[in-house]
Amino acid sequence: MMAGEMRKSALMAVDEINQSDEFDFTFAAHLRDPGGVVAAYHTACDELIREEQVDHIVGCYTSASRKQVIPIVERTERLLWHPARYEGFESSDNVIYVGAAPNHNVVPLVRHMLDHISSDVFCIGSNYVWTWETNRVIREIVTSASGRILAERLLELGETAVDHIVKEIIDRKPPVVFNTLVGESSYVFMRALHEATTRAGLTIPVLSCSLCEPELKLIGSAASVGCITSSAYFESIERPENRAFVARWKARHGADSSPSVDGQSTYVCVMLLARAIRRAGSADVGAVRRAAANHRYDSPQGPIWVDPDNNHCFLTPRLARSVPGCQFKIFWEADAPERPDPYLSNLDLTAIGMGAEKGNDAMTKRSNHLRIVK
Amino acid sequence: MTRPSPFSVRGRRALIVMRDEREISIVRRQLNRLGMTIAECDPAEAPPSDETVDVIVVDADSIPIKSDPATVWKSNAPIIALIGTETPSRLKWLLDLKPASFLVKPLRSAGLYTALVVAFDCAQRRLDEAAHIEKLEDRVRSRRVVFAAVLQMMRGHGLSEADAFTLIRQTAMRHRTTIEQLSAEIIAAGGMPNRTTRTA
Repeated sequence: MMAGEMRKSALMAVDEINQSDEFDFTFAAHLRDPGGVVAAYHTACDELIREEQVDHIVGCYTSASRKQVIPIVERTERLLWHPARYEGFESSDNVIYVGAAPNHNVVPLVRHMLDHISSDVFCIGSNYVWTWETNRVIREIVTSASGRILAERLLELGETAVDHIVKEIIDRKPPVVFNTLVGESSYVFMRALHEATTRAGLTIPVLSCSLCEPELKLIGSAASVGCITSSAYFESIERPENRAFVARWKARHGADSSPSVDGQSTYVCVMLLARAIRRAGSADVGAVRRAAANHRYDSPQGPIWVDPDNNHCFLTPRLARSVPGCQFKIFWEADAPERPDPYLSNLDLTAIGMGAEKGNDAMTKRSNHLRIVK
Repeated sequence: MTRPSPFSVRGRRALIVMRDEREISIVRRQLNRLGMTIAECDPAEAPPSDETVDVIVVDADSIPIKSDPATVWKSNAPIIALIGTETPSRLKWLLDLKPASFLVKPLRSAGLYTALVVAFDCAQRRLDEAAHIEKLEDRVRSRRVVFAAVLQMMRGHGLSEADAFTLIRQTAMRHRTTIEQLSAEIIAAGGMPNRTTRTA
């Protein structure tokens, strides 16, 4: 589903640029669809570069596909504009990372969990790099605040047999569930957990770093409510740039249709590219990279610009709760766009740990001394 | 026993545990150039048990972090890890594999030879260190024996501890044996054994 959302958004941006007087050039979009087959990304990009003479490539949703593309764009000195959030620990000169870095995405959500919900967490996720790394970050932060990972359950990508895990959650009644499942696995899990908790009369908060509005629709209106989600973009952002963007989106894709974080980010990729080309006066990769650096764009998600130190973007982390109608209600956002920290080098665990223990209640419950954590 | 130089790789056997065809062809070509023989194994399958290999090249990204088969590769042959993802969760998994050396993807023909040399050298050093540690452990184990022999000498000859130890050490040197061996003989004989083979 994400690939379609991202393509729709890219083409919308291309059309807007081509129709705009603000740009004295037009984009010709060359489309390739490797269809999620990892090895096909290399071939598709090779074709785009050699046959279509493409300088800039927008796309890739998974890290596996990005890793396929990076060798080619590095060898041929092209730029990949990568819209999706990812797990970090990468910084190629030939990639502009427009999605959230882990400090934008995972860290604020875990911090919120520690401060307002619980420091004991049940983790469920898809068995791949995003979950592995997100769980590691959760574990690091949570244990530094004397909390516990109650379980770490993994499902193969696309797996929809979730009942045993839902049963375990109902039996153990964890104070909070952290969901890093992706795609169909996540939708099935959210529905099954909602049904089971309703039947058992339980309220267990669920956290996610990746759910978006179109996915809430796929989950279904009842089961999709109440998920606390971390993202740089929600459809409900009350900024004039976003209200206009949503209106244009609905005019183009239908009143029932919603933009998603990854779609909006793909739109931003194309816009950042166009603005950098305009500033550079050329589509030359080196010139565009220099022009993109620190060049602020008031995007639907708010001000965004490329940090030339690591080619990731300054952007504004937000937390929201899913509400009836397959929308998110934002309850927290950072005061200003945050510097990207793809290697989490500036993550101050002691500060986060203190946050979780600031109340007297927490102080009496938890000791600062060593204790055995299974 | 002359040990093989880590620089001579010809004739050694490599097991490659990789999935990406493009990367496999790069490794295969380079190993062939170096005159090594190759065995291949899919990362999802168990390695061939009857096969003796000198080095294992593992694509870290091709094996799920949480999977058990990872432990299968903990063999005696040195491991060269191919790294695509530098996340700490992946690197932690890699550390448990105790790689002898590594290569960062994307692969090129350059670099593999260095990785092989470092891996072979590392494997040899590990063997040497293991032998050294075994020797030291033997010594630690025989401390009680040496101590008992020193006590025996102190009692039997009215010596101080320092003098008793010096006597044992000097006798051991004269007999070209170790302190530990002589101590065992002292205890067995109930005193300094009469050796006829004075070679000093």
